[in-house]
Amino acid sequence: MLNGYTEDIAKLIEPGRVHRRVYTDPELFELEMERIFGSAWLFVGHTSQVPKPGDYITTELGRQPVIMCRHSDGSVQVLVNRCSHRGAKVVNERRGHAPRLVCCYHGWSYDTDGSLLSVAVPEGCCKGFDKEAFGLARAPRIGDYRGFIFANLAATGPSFEDHIGSMKGNIDDLVDRAPDGTLALDVGMHRYVYNGNWKLQVENVLDSYHVPFGHASTVNKEGVQFARREGDQKGAAVIETKKQQTAGSWKDRKSYIVGNGHGWTSNTMLDDGKRSSQAFDEYKRALANKVGAERAMQILTPRLHNSLIYPNMSIMGLNIHVRVIKPLAVDRTEVTIYPIRLCGAPESMNFGNIRLLNVTHSAASFVQTDDLESFVRTQKGLRSNLTDWVDISRGLGDEEPERELNATRGLATHEMVVRAQYKAWLGYMREAI
Amino acid sequence: MEAAGSGGAGIDRAAFEEFLIHEATLLDARRFRDWMALFTDDGTYWVPAVPDQRSPFDQASLFYDDRDLMKTRVDRLEHPLIHVQTPPSRTAHLVGNVIVEQADAPGGEFVVGSTVIMVEYRDDAQRMFAGRQHHRLRRVGAGFRIVQKRVDLINCDSAFEAIAVPI
Repeated sequence: MLNGYTEDIAKLIEPGRVHRRVYTDPELFELEMERIFGSAWLFVGHTSQVPKPGDYITTELGRQPVIMCRHSDGSVQVLVNRCSHRGAKVVNERRGHAPRLVCCYHGWSYDTDGSLLSVAVPEGCCKGFDKEAFGLARAPRIGDYRGFIFANLAATGPSFEDHIGSMKGNIDDLVDRAPDGTLALDVGMHRYVYNGNWKLQVENVLDSYHVPFGHASTVNKEGVQFARREGDQKGAAVIETKKQQTAGSWKDRKSYIVGNGHGWTSNTMLDDGKRSSQAFDEYKRALANKVGAERAMQILTPRLHNSLIYPNMSIMGLNIHVRVIKPLAVDRTEVTIYPIRLCGAPESMNFGNIRLLNVTHSAASFVQTDDLESFVRTQKGLRSNLTDWVDISRGLGDEEPERELNATRGLATHEMVVRAQYKAWLGYMREAI
Repeated sequence: MEAAGSGGAGIDRAAFEEFLIHEATLLDARRFRDWMALFTDDGTYWVPAVPDQRSPFDQASLFYDDRDLMKTRVDRLEHPLIHVQTPPSRTAHLVGNVIVEQADAPGGEFVVGSTVIMVEYRDDAQRMFAGRQHHRLRRVGAGFRIVQKRVDLINCDSAFEAIAVPI
C-alpha cells in the first residue's frame, strides 16, 4: 500500500529506472487523477472546434466530464459537465450547437458561461435559493495560446505561462506553416483505445528508438518507409539494409527537454529541396506571398518532429496532427488524433494530410497499430513481479546543455525524454493537494 | 442509372450475392492479395469515420485506400514483423440483406447494398463489427470487379482498438 505518502512514491522513480507499479497500480492511478490531472495544465481543445457562440465539444479532463463552448460574448469557456442540481451529465453529445445547455433530468438550463438561467417549477425552490450559486462549475483557470485551449482544475499552482514556457515555440512551428497564420481542428478525428497505461503513449511520442523494429512492417526491402507527405517522392530511410542497422537519419536525430516534462525531437525535413508537387509548390507560393520568401524558407526549414506538452498532448510535425491522451483506467487509455487543416493552404494539400493520417494514425493505420500492440504487450509483461523495474537508462549521463534553446539535448534514440517525464511526474505526485 | 429493387428490372440478385460471399470468403481465408485483385485499377476501399460521411477527402476516415495504398496494406499484412498480427486475426464475415440499389445494365455498373457482420478473434479476445456496406461493381467479362467498397460501421465514430485487417 502506498497510502499516498510522497516518500513512498519517490521510491518508485530512480535515475535510470521506474518501478512497474507506476504502470499497474490502480491506487497510484487514482492519485494521478488527483495530483496530475487534477492540478496540471491540460489541453482541452482548439478554438476552431467551437467557431460560433453556442458551439460546444465535450471531453474529459482526468475524471471530470467537461464542456468547452463558445459563449455569446465570444469567449471560450470550460465548464464541468455535471448538473448543479442532482448531478446528471448535462450535455451528452460529443459536439454540437446549443445556445442553452439543458439538463435532461429536471430541465435546469444554463447559459454557455455556466450561469443558471432557469429551473422548472421555480416556486418549489426553498427559501433563499440562490441561482447564482448554482451555475455549472467552471475550470478555475484557462490558458489560450494561438487558439490552443488549456485548462487547470486547480485554482492555484504554476501559471499557464510558467507551464507552457518555451513550448509556445513548438506551437508556433506548426501554426506558422498556415499561410493565414491560423489552423483548424475541423477535419474529423481518429480515436483509438488500448489496454495499457496512459504513460505508454506519452513515452512513445518522443521515442525514436522503436521505429526501425516496432514499425518494421511499414518498411520495404530497401529499408524505406512508404512516402508520407504531399510532394515527397519517397518515404524516409529507416533501416540501412546492408548493415542491418538503424539508418543514420534516425540515429543522429536529437531530442530536447525544457522542464515540466515537455520535450521534442528534431530534424524532420519539411522541405529538402526535392519535395515538390503541384499542391506543395502552390502552398509554398501561398506562404511566401503572406510572410515573404525569407520567412517562408525559415518556416520550411527543419526543426521539429514530435513535441510533447506534458502530460496530455502532443503535436506531430511530420504528418501534422494534434494528439490528446486520455487515461480511462490504470490499464485502459483513449487517444484522439486531430488532423490539422492549415488555413490558407491549398485544399488538395490539406486533403493530402487527411489521407496520410488515415494511413499513419487511424485505428486501422499501418503505423499506429503496431504501437498499440507494443503498449498492450507492455501492460501484459508488467504483470510480472519477478522483475520490478522498467529500464529507461539509455543515454543516462550523456545529456548536454543546449544554451541557444535554453534546453537539454540528447539523442532521440536515448531515453532522456522519458526520464524528464518521470521527473515531472514525481513533481506532481509528491504535491499533496 | 435506375433504382432497382431486389431482383427487379431483370437483375439476378443471386449473382451479386454470390460475388459478395466470395469476397467475404477471401477475407476470412486471409487471401488479401486475391481480395485486392477484385478491385478495378481505379478501385477504392472506404470505411468512413462518421455516419453519413459525404467525402473521404475533407475529413478523416478509418480506411480510404486506393490500389496503391491497398498494396502497401497487403504487403504489410504479409510482412513477418507485423506485430499487431502476431498472432493473426481470424475472422468470420456474414453478408446478408442484399439489395441491388442502382443498376445501369447497359453500362455494366451496379451498386449493391448489404449488411455485414464480422466477428474477429485474436490473442484471446473476440469482438464484433457490424454495418451496412455498399459495393459499386463493374461487369468485367463474366464476373464483377469492385469500383468502390464502402463500409458504414454502426459504431464508426467510436474509439477502436487496433484494426489490422479489412472489414
